[in-house]
Amino acid sequence: MRDQQREKVIQSVTWGLGGIFVLLGFGLMAMVLVGAWPTLAEPHALARLLSPTWDPMRDQWGLLPFLLGTAVVTCLALAIVVPLALATGISISRMLPWSLRPQAVRLLAALTAIPSVVFGWWGLETVVPAVRILGGQAGFSLLAAAIVLALMLWPTLGFLFAEALMKVPRSYVEASAALGASDDQTLVRILIPSAWPQLMNAFLVAVARGLGETVAVQMVIGGQVAMPAGLLSPGATLTTQLLTDATLFPPGTRGHAALDAMALALLAAMGLLVRLSARWQGQP
Amino acid sequence: MHHLAFFVMLGAVLVMAGLLLDVVREGLPHLTWQFLTSAPKERGEGGGIGPEIVNTIVMVGGAMIVTAPLGLLVGMSQVEWRPPHAVVSVFDQVRATWLSIPSVVLGFLVYRVAIAWWHWPLSVVTGVLALCVMNWPMMVSVAVTALRNVPATYREASWALGATRSQTVRRVVLPAALGELINGWGWAMARLAGESAALIMTAGLNVSTHWSAWGPGETLAVYIWYVRTEGYGARGSGVAAATALTLMLLIALILWVSGRLSDWRQHPGR
Amino acid sequence: MAPTIRTEHLSVSYHRTPVLHQISLEAAGGEVLALIGPSGCGKSTFLRALNRLVEETPGARVEGRVYLGNMNIYAPSVDVTQLRRRVGMVFQAPNPFPFSIFDNVAYGPRLHGVTDAGELRRIVERSLQEAALWDEVRGKLRRPALTLSGGQQQRLCIARALAVDPEVLLLDEPTAALDPLSTEKIEELIANLRGRYTIVMVTHNLRQAARISDRTAFFAEGRLVEVGWTRQMFTAPQDPRTEQYLTGRYQP
Ligand SMILES: Nc1ncnc2c1ncn2[C@@H]1O[C@H](COP(=O)(O)OP(=O)(O)OP(=O)(O)O)[C@@H](O)[C@H]1O
Ligand SMILES: [Mg+2]
Repeated sequence: MRDQQREKVIQSVTWGLGGIFVLLGFGLMAMVLVGAWPTLAEPHALARLLSPTWDPMRDQWGLLPFLLGTAVVTCLALAIVVPLALATGISISRMLPWSLRPQAVRLLAALTAIPSVVFGWWGLETVVPAVRILGGQAGFSLLAAAIVLALMLWPTLGFLFAEALMKVPRSYVEASAALGASDDQTLVRILIPSAWPQLMNAFLVAVARGLGETVAVQMVIGGQVAMPAGLLSPGATLTTQLLTDATLFPPGTRGHAALDAMALALLAAMGLLVRLSARWQGQP
Repeated sequence: MHHLAFFVMLGAVLVMAGLLLDVVREGLPHLTWQFLTSAPKERGEGGGIGPEIVNTIVMVGGAMIVTAPLGLLVGMSQVEWRPPHAVVSVFDQVRATWLSIPSVVLGFLVYRVAIAWWHWPLSVVTGVLALCVMNWPMMVSVAVTALRNVPATYREASWALGATRSQTVRRVVLPAALGELINGWGWAMARLAGESAALIMTAGLNVSTHWSAWGPGETLAVYIWYVRTEGYGARGSGVAAATALTLMLLIALILWVSGRLSDWRQHPGR
Repeated sequence: MAPTIRTEHLSVSYHRTPVLHQISLEAAGGEVLALIGPSGCGKSTFLRALNRLVEETPGARVEGRVYLGNMNIYAPSVDVTQLRRRVGMVFQAPNPFPFSIFDNVAYGPRLHGVTDAGELRRIVERSLQEAALWDEVRGKLRRPALTLSGGQQQRLCIARALAVDPEVLLLDEPTAALDPLSTEKIEELIANLRGRYTIVMVTHNLRQAARISDRTAFFAEGRLVEVGWTRQMFTAPQDPRTEQYLTGRYQP
């Protein structure tokens, strides 16, 4: 009986902590929403938020340059990295000798631990000068940011793709080969379709990391708040602007609320990705 | 197609190898004992990264000491003392969403609460708070995954011998999950050590001459960022590379130790 | 003397789906009672109701009474941990903990407060001997239990159950995952344990039931169809469904 009472106490303590965790999670999201409220409640809120002018001096808080920057940099980085990572996954899971595969996967996993600031440093060293030569401008640009981001995402995505492809049961591959399919046919018709949910999930992980990446992008993108004129022009993203302006506008000011609106946009995108990935995992 | 894939991969590998070589080539000449132990200098020769190394270790360690047990307990509340299904599903969604919030947003929120509202200084403690907010959902996920991977038959066997739930957790489930927990903790520490965005806003961009918990708490990762964006000119790149090299070696050490410990837990006697 | 274990109108449902209907069945002290029946008919559920392990399954509901001796084990005053100490259980697939052989067997006694090293060693040795494993593992007690063969692991699980001095043993298809030789060893072992423990054993192997049980109960679709002396049931079953099952023609 004493035992049972003690069990009850232990259960209450862990459930209490679990409750605190969930409340704090909701609290974080609520803080962003409440913080962004002034920008959402004013007249013509959407039009003002989506305007292309960000000019604190003249009370203009349009987020369009940053939304566009985030979208362009993320999409371009993904367009570069998805083929690279898919090639990596295929090579590791199908071409490397059996004995090297685990090592290759572990190596990729280790590369995912390289801090993003190191990629930013490399971007300044290598990518920005290269883009400068290529485009004739400063070199700090959306393109440079996308290239840096792509290299940063490559180990993660390559690792996840390789894992997904290696999880496909060997019997499928053997059955397909036994029916006379070539390696390429087996890859396209058996391997990729059977690994599709995991591949999609891996892709969503990469999207989430790309949208949320801050420092590596901030170091090479140039930090210009006007609408970017092209891939070679400097720009800014939601995260980089949040980083550079966070300490500029104290809480309560209109600028602070605009930063919350940026955070809210990021949260909304992340929430969507979480939902999508739950769908791919077969959860409600 | 397979051969094309192989060459494409080779291309990516070469670029990545180039990056690592660059870090080593530029960083190694600066990497002296004196560099590792002395304080940074804004101007002139002879600055180092001693305080940054200390800050990185202290802040990552502090955040882990706070959040690893909290995460384990919260994970246990969901797996070992299982609430109704609906609760678990809400919980899983909150965990996944929180985990996906970019660290810069979490840093921004901690900045607002701790620094603007509570008037905490930019400091080691504030930085640890930011790392805790980042790491708690990570610790919960590590715990949930590790606990869910413990076969249900272990628990049943234990209950059938008259063990209570908490006895089963302490004597069977935790020992069986420990290897995976250690592994997850290692990866989480690696992630924390490399964090910069959230710390730029909360821990500050310099170090004090006498270390104090309420003093500014620049870490290695933040220092790299500072040197290359806000700091001084020509010598910056080499100093940054040497710092990056140090940070990466530190992370490699963390991963190596945790990996070995985890292997040893999972396959004792090997 | 081992106690009888008896159910009265025992019904179990999972998430409101009934799985067992009004089972009244008794295993006399010291006898071996075999449970047979088609897959999914509720044999495991029945067994797990006898040590209240079924309560750990989310959504499970139990009605009716179960008596161990003359104590109703579902009475609110009953301490589940004490009950499970008296009613040991062995599962279909061997499930030793990922500890050493010694720590596996010592697990139960330690739970219940035995700390003296000498006494633990005595209990472990006695239990391993009872489970006919001692000769194979003496001198290797510090090895991980998972390095044993499947049959040895299952006997280790029996030793682990015996180490807390139970009075009743519940065996859920204890040989289902084992090769013929290990099966024979376990059958021998059960024959030796008979009389000292009341044994309720689920099996899909009809010959096994015929070889080692005193009485046999036939379950189908959550109901007890027939129970009787094993020899009688296998030669002259009362219920047509039993006969169909025994001759391999049963269709639900
Ligand atoms: N945890 C559970 N939740 C819901 N239903 C369950 C659960 N466990 C078992 N059932 C259902 O209860 C019924 C009886 O299951 P039980 O495991 O007792 O059968 P069994 O006779 O032991 O079968 P087998 O011979 O295959 O082991 C089955 O229809 C099964 O689907
Ligand atoms: Mg069963």
